[in-house]
Amino acid sequence: MIKSMFRLGIILSLFASGACVALAVVYNITGPVIKTQEERALNAALKDIFPESDGYSDITKELSSPDPKIQILNAYAMTKGGSLLGVAVKASGPSYSANAVLLSGIKVDGTIKQVRVLQISDTPGLGANAANPGYYVDKAKKITFTGQFEGKKITDPFKVKEDVQAITASTITSRSLTAIVKVSADAASTYISQKGGAK
Amino acid sequence: MKRSTAVFLQGLIIENPLAIIMIGLCSALAVTTSVANGIGMSLAMTFVIVASEFIISAFRKLIPESVRIPIFIIIIAAFTTMVDLVMKAYFPDLSKAMGVFIPLIVVNCIIMGRVEAFASKEPVPHAILDALGMGLGYTWVLVGMSVVRELLGNGTILGIQVLPETYQPILFFVLPPGGFLVFALFISLNLFLKKKWLESPLGCPDPEGGK
Repeated sequence: MIKSMFRLGIILSLFASGACVALAVVYNITGPVIKTQEERALNAALKDIFPESDGYSDITKELSSPDPKIQILNAYAMTKGGSLLGVAVKASGPSYSANAVLLSGIKVDGTIKQVRVLQISDTPGLGANAANPGYYVDKAKKITFTGQFEGKKITDPFKVKEDVQAITASTITSRSLTAIVKVSADAASTYISQKGGAK
Repeated sequence: MKRSTAVFLQGLIIENPLAIIMIGLCSALAVTTSVANGIGMSLAMTFVIVASEFIISAFRKLIPESVRIPIFIIIIAAFTTMVDLVMKAYFPDLSKAMGVFIPLIVVNCIIMGRVEAFASKEPVPHAILDALGMGLGYTWVLVGMSVVRELLGNGTILGIQVLPETYQPILFFVLPPGGFLVFALFISLNLFLKKKWLESPLGCPDPEGGK
């Protein structure tokens, strides 16, 4: 009995170590590629929000979310020639079907620069239209859902169907995304007032 | 009909994992909203099933009966993780679109089922043919479904506008109920093909080898 337990244990561990070695090899090959892919994606996203910036520093630890349901994943202080242009905040919060991730840029003057949807898994054709560059909440002016935040003051109320236009038939998505933008903006403005006030 | 042909056709049509056995449906219905996802998922799935059936069939005499399930899972999980890493490294967009469904290949019943029912008892060449049959059987249903769903639900194929701009997309097809409807159509298509095979002059391809 004991003998067969040992035998089975050894066989099982042999298979497990074989699998581990194979995985380690693949991981070592793909690991660096994945890392550069992620860096490239991050650089492109930050460049997209603050095209005029020439550098950034990670300030994730200095920001905190006022809402426990919404997490600030990363935050970057965007600079040009050493002076602060604004803050880019990547935040994740619950939406209609699962968590959505947004990247918001907040300028030092207290307005929102741009908002990008990085990840959303809500209903295709409804909530997922938040990330669709061809879907306009304001068809006449061709303003997308995230586009409407451009230039918005962070002191605004951020109420869906009042100062924020909702995506048709997707009130929950609209509300959740607006809440994420609001939290990002609040956290960023706290940081900006600390840094900007000292200048 | 030769047994190897029968083994291959078994998975492709006669016992198509999706349309006849109806296992592994969750991810199949979830990813078929776009053709790119359908192709990505099928390739990943086919790779994992072929590699797993190959390894398990090759080592079948060294795998003790009482711990076979943990060993199967280790092998399947290792291949799935490899696919996940390779996709993340070389196809980051596709990997993002597929989300959690690639890691979930580990618990896909099709692979577990074939490994347990076939690869653990059969020699390597037959195991590979069975895996290819099952993998391609999965692929044609999945890609077919995603073509129908993306075309009718979005007017595009692989993101390229196919139907005229004036076409109003029928959202229903990319939503879950549309998935079920399209899936039902593919079940009937597969049954039709199966019936044709059974009534063909070649006779019924018997996977048991005429027992």
